[in-house]
Amino acid sequence: MARLSELEKLRNVIYTCTHCGNCKYFYNWGEKENLFGRNCPSGNYFYFDSYYGSRARSAAAKGLLEGKLEWSEPLVQALFACTTCAACAQQCEVDFKDWIIRTMETLRREAVKAGVGPIARQKAFGEWTLKEHNPYMEKHVDRLAWLPKDIRQKLPETAEYLYFVGCTSSYRQKNIALATTKLLLKLGVDFTISDDEWCCGSPHLRTGQWDIAQEVARHNAELVDRVGAKKVITTCAGCYRTLLADYQQEPPHGYSDILNVGFNKPVIHTIQLIEELIRKGKIELGEYPKKVTYHDPCHLGRHMAPIQGREACYEAPRNVLKSIPKIEFVEMERSREWAWCCGSGGGVKSGFPEMAIQTAVERIKEAESIGAEVLTSVCPFCWRNLDDAIKMTGSNMKMLDITEILLEIVK
Amino acid sequence: MGDKILRILKEIVGDEYASADEAVLYPYSFDLTWAKPRMPDYVVLPNTVEDIQRILRLANRERIPVVPYVSGTNIGGLCIPENGGIIMDLKRMNKIIEINTETGYVVVEPGVTHAQLSAALKKEGFTFSWPVGPPAASVLACAINCGIGHLASKFGINAENISSMEVVLPTGEVAKIGSCAFSDSWHSLWPLPQLAGLFIGWLGTTGIVTKLGVWIYDIPPFIKVETVATDNVEDMARWQRAIRRTYVPLDVTAVSWWLAQVPIPHPYVEKPKDAPEWYCFNVLTAWTEKQMDAYVDLFNKIVKEEQQRGSSVRPYPYPEEALKGRTQLPSRIVGTTKNYCGSGVAGLSWPGTFTPASNWPPLYHEWKTILIKHHFSPAVRLTNFQGAHYGMMRAFVPFDKRKVGDPNLRIKGIDNQENARQALLECVEAGVKYGMIPYKPPVDFWSILNRKADPGFISLLTKVKDMLDPNGIMNPGKLGVR
Repeated sequence: MARLSELEKLRNVIYTCTHCGNCKYFYNWGEKENLFGRNCPSGNYFYFDSYYGSRARSAAAKGLLEGKLEWSEPLVQALFACTTCAACAQQCEVDFKDWIIRTMETLRREAVKAGVGPIARQKAFGEWTLKEHNPYMEKHVDRLAWLPKDIRQKLPETAEYLYFVGCTSSYRQKNIALATTKLLLKLGVDFTISDDEWCCGSPHLRTGQWDIAQEVARHNAELVDRVGAKKVITTCAGCYRTLLADYQQEPPHGYSDILNVGFNKPVIHTIQLIEELIRKGKIELGEYPKKVTYHDPCHLGRHMAPIQGREACYEAPRNVLKSIPKIEFVEMERSREWAWCCGSGGGVKSGFPEMAIQTAVERIKEAESIGAEVLTSVCPFCWRNLDDAIKMTGSNMKMLDITEILLEIVK
Repeated sequence: MGDKILRILKEIVGDEYASADEAVLYPYSFDLTWAKPRMPDYVVLPNTVEDIQRILRLANRERIPVVPYVSGTNIGGLCIPENGGIIMDLKRMNKIIEINTETGYVVVEPGVTHAQLSAALKKEGFTFSWPVGPPAASVLACAINCGIGHLASKFGINAENISSMEVVLPTGEVAKIGSCAFSDSWHSLWPLPQLAGLFIGWLGTTGIVTKLGVWIYDIPPFIKVETVATDNVEDMARWQRAIRRTYVPLDVTAVSWWLAQVPIPHPYVEKPKDAPEWYCFNVLTAWTEKQMDAYVDLFNKIVKEEQQRGSSVRPYPYPEEALKGRTQLPSRIVGTTKNYCGSGVAGLSWPGTFTPASNWPPLYHEWKTILIKHHFSPAVRLTNFQGAHYGMMRAFVPFDKRKVGDPNLRIKGIDNQENARQALLECVEAGVKYGMIPYKPPVDFWSILNRKADPGFISLLTKVKDMLDPNGIMNPGKLGVR
């Protein structure tokens, strides 16, 4: 067996996992009601303990470190069939808590090093990223194909903000890229967009393809300097986490030890900027008389709230929605730190598409159960998977990014 | 042969719910305890009683051991497959079948967790007796294995709250036991012959309980936790005797200073000189404010009386996080997590025992000596069951599971896991002479217990086991006989 050098570094934290199983369900004691719910997409889909919560992955890590487990296809499947949504970390009460995601991704790194990972489709998007700088098998030259010429001409060469569009919005959820751009222009935000943006590296960090993440991170860090922007703004929760935590923070929350790009620019999510503008009274909103609920993206919520705080990561989108006249905002039972994952993160959308869609179907049913007409979020990757599930189930609910709603009603 | 068994298991439950892959089996091979890891040969996830019947008939025919499993979080190694075989993981069977608030019982499947049931019952204004175990643990498994909960001081252990059950015998037959055998009502095991006793306390060695009725209780509107402390175990045991006579508190539980810390200090540290050695929380509940005031008066009166007798007992604040962990149940803080083994590095075990209250003080002194000698904190708990009649005494021992030679071992230079095993075996040796009976015991305890046991008991135990499980397939090795 190849040396498990990265996993060895985490040996002491891995052994703090007590195998207690807190990580397998959402649970919280409350004065009037106790919260209980399913939390683990992979455990919920595959049911075996080898797929359930962080306990499963710490067991695999111990097995590998102690030489009791060999690499095998079922082991690789179990390690990669996890959305890294951090719902298990939310439940954990021991010192392993903060290290859970890093441990899962390190296990994947070891699988990649051993030549048994990642899953074939994840490997393919990694190889494509080296050539064309995106994981969507699209051409780099087409990155800004969504941006109408007339708008592009309005954007300055350099600006206070670089809008880091992200691959999903650039190539798939172009509706979000366009809505964001139009909205920022309408609000008079000083921003620009670059045609030389590369994938942020999130899919590669999440799937153990760290060398690819290193390359794209280096490029993007230089790009921000080249553009001359003081800050970066994103509409993608995944890009937000990667640029702010992974590029800039030490482990356990970030990958600065691996990426080592010396990037330290402020990064803000669009929704946080909009909330600030609303708070300052700089936005006037029209009515939106619909019943709307909000899905917390894991990469904005559970991944970033420990670093950026609850207000920025859970409340900002809610404050924006609640400030809309005539809107009827309703919460799903599993929300904020207890949110059920959309099912697409951690490489699962490409590696385990059936699990991804079934996970999203559960979320759609939850949103429908409270009578929501519109399901919103602030992540194009969540948008895509949830919308796929809406279409698959024939739901009447509409999927919209909050920027799409705002574009419609900002006066 | 292996392929044939796997093929049949897959035919029974579906391809995706049976496996013989090493990576899938591995997490079922070990638990928190020192129990030697053993790999199962298969894991299967049934979804119905019929699935279970077919699996047991197959196992019986082929003489394959079957280990029932839900979350595997007991700290007695009860789900470790001593002889390999099939892990029957019951977590898919997770329905709360009935909540009957009028008669006061619920019917649950094995996969229903304490977290799940507590959420459902609280909405109805009801509670069950929640253990300080992990919220993800099974209500059914805890009850049939004589686990205890926060109502034990008043209403007895969880097994005493079982009202009916459905069971699949090792040979595949299904039987309903209690009132549910005669109607759709799952309210009582009495006044029938106590057949439920064939499956309670047997550690999964006589069949698979597939449905369980348990009594539930209204949540009173007034709850107050009065806490006291004493300087020694004698005064604490006397306090518990004094307060339990009243049958007022729902829970009378005392913990040593070391167990009141979150996490338990490990390795052993001395208690600060000015800190009391024992703390006790007394949970008072009432339906009116006046009733609560009367209970508080009674409580204060007993404190005074004890003080007049020379006791060191006095009202004393219980450490805040520990108090939350013990009264806001089910709790993520206690159980096998932050409180019990946050300091232990992956290992936890215990002598969890039913011990006559009169012998708590001398046994505590012996345990304290043994545990400190082995570098463990004497993190001991004492709880009254059913008012005055019997009680629990247990010590939690977190330990380091890393290999000898690991430079970060909590206790340097020795095999920490073997050290824990030795310490607890010594605790059991010390306890049997005081009438101590371990519950959910690790296999290693049985050699000590069975030496002491009445031969007639062992003989009857063996006969019953052989009658129910003629081929010895059910969780073999866990009773110290067969």
